[in-house]
Amino acid sequence: MLDFSRYPIVVEGFSYSYPSKPNVLNELSFRVERGEALGIIGPNGAGKSTICRALNGLVPHFYGGRVRGRIYVAGMDTLKHTVAELSTKVGLVFQEPETQLSGLAITVEDEISFGLSMLGYPKEVILERTREALEKVGLRGLEKRSPFELSGGQQQRLAIATVLAMRPEVLVLDEPAAQLDPIGKTQVFNVLRDLLRDGATIVVAEHEIEELATFTDHMILLDKGRIISAGVSRDVLRQVELLKSSGVDPPSVTELAYLVENACGLNLDRYPITIDEAVSLFLELLEDGGRV
Amino acid sequence: MPLMLVVLPWMALAIPILSLPLGFPWNQTVIYRLDILGLKLPVYLEGLAWGFTWPLRIGVTISAALLFYLTTQQTALIAMLFKFRLPFRFIYMVAATLQLIPLMVDEVRSIYQAQLARGLRTDVGIVKKLWNFLLLVVPLTLSSLGKVQTRAVALESRGFSAPVAKTVLYDIRFKTVDYLFFTCMAAVTLYLGYLYITEGYSPLVHLRYLLAG
Repeated sequence: MLDFSRYPIVVEGFSYSYPSKPNVLNELSFRVERGEALGIIGPNGAGKSTICRALNGLVPHFYGGRVRGRIYVAGMDTLKHTVAELSTKVGLVFQEPETQLSGLAITVEDEISFGLSMLGYPKEVILERTREALEKVGLRGLEKRSPFELSGGQQQRLAIATVLAMRPEVLVLDEPAAQLDPIGKTQVFNVLRDLLRDGATIVVAEHEIEELATFTDHMILLDKGRIISAGVSRDVLRQVELLKSSGVDPPSVTELAYLVENACGLNLDRYPITIDEAVSLFLELLEDGGRV
Repeated sequence: MPLMLVVLPWMALAIPILSLPLGFPWNQTVIYRLDILGLKLPVYLEGLAWGFTWPLRIGVTISAALLFYLTTQQTALIAMLFKFRLPFRFIYMVAATLQLIPLMVDEVRSIYQAQLARGLRTDVGIVKKLWNFLLLVVPLTLSSLGKVQTRAVALESRGFSAPVAKTVLYDIRFKTVDYLFFTCMAAVTLYLGYLYITEGYSPLVHLRYLLAG
């Protein structure tokens, strides 16, 4: 028996075909442990968005298509529960901040409470959770503004708040930073780091590998709907050639270390994946070199 | 005054069509005979009046809609629709329309600028202007369709179709003023309706004449 309290997301042999596009996902199996962050990386069209949508049941309930395998979210089989039911278990944040706004809300506050009022929660609960979600993403003071007047980064944080208000067990983000400027990106990833520190479980599909590397515990590399590498982030990212051949740029410091290693005939036991790590690694190397 | 831009062309179009003998059924009273190429064309009073009043009515409708859009507090409107126990999908439709107008305007502007950047000529005649308009409408429609899909997905994943009673955060109550206003509006509407049927250029009036022979 699977331990659902330990693994809020369990994907077992999941394959999926859109009605118009076959074999988008092939035999995916992975688990996400409570309180960890999983990064899903891969080139465009690898199936990153599709797996994100499968986690909250939009695939297949909204899109149709053929499914094999199972996904359990907080112990619920996504095939047997509706998207509305799953929306309190999985919060899905989309790529474009503007299109995921409800279109009904006049203020930021309304926008956050939209999901809860759709599910018929009592008013007091809604107000309290809205305040809490605003606090978490750092949008206090903007409650009365129109969601459409916010900057991209603020809108994306608002989108995160809208799903946080549902108190989901897992937060799933589909390229949350793709449409944002550098400031917006930093804001969004800082929010994710904060949430993670508070014990949230997060799944992020993203191109921004440099940022992703700094906070995800595990990573999955998808290509053409298959998992071609999975494991601890550091181990996935050190396969520089595999990453490049599947169309993903590894963090530049990792690639640099790889090139330096090959050029100098060194044998590094550990590749840096963040700038800080790179600095200390290269300092070490320089000191060694000085001694030799 | 921009309203005149709508009303005047309509008049220019409607008056000749309706007042000349081109088949408008209620034309009876000849008030003038136009001399065109030796033809004595009769000009009818009824058609002239229709051609004059209908564009004005269109103007009134547009300005009323604008007045409504610009002065109504949207939260209050939504809360009221809830109060009337209308189906939620309908309420969403109304609210989303109001919300999307500014977004649509933005979209039109950016598409227009994109077309300009690609060499769209604006110093052209009326026919070419209509063609330009089409160049704007097609991408707008396509991009809107795409957005509808995304929005549907977003709504769905936030429990839009959960089979429960939705919660409304805003409470709205009818005050004495509101009741008074509604009563006055109803009374005025009824009175105008009565005038329209008995006195005005109503199709019904003419129907009576027609039936009487």
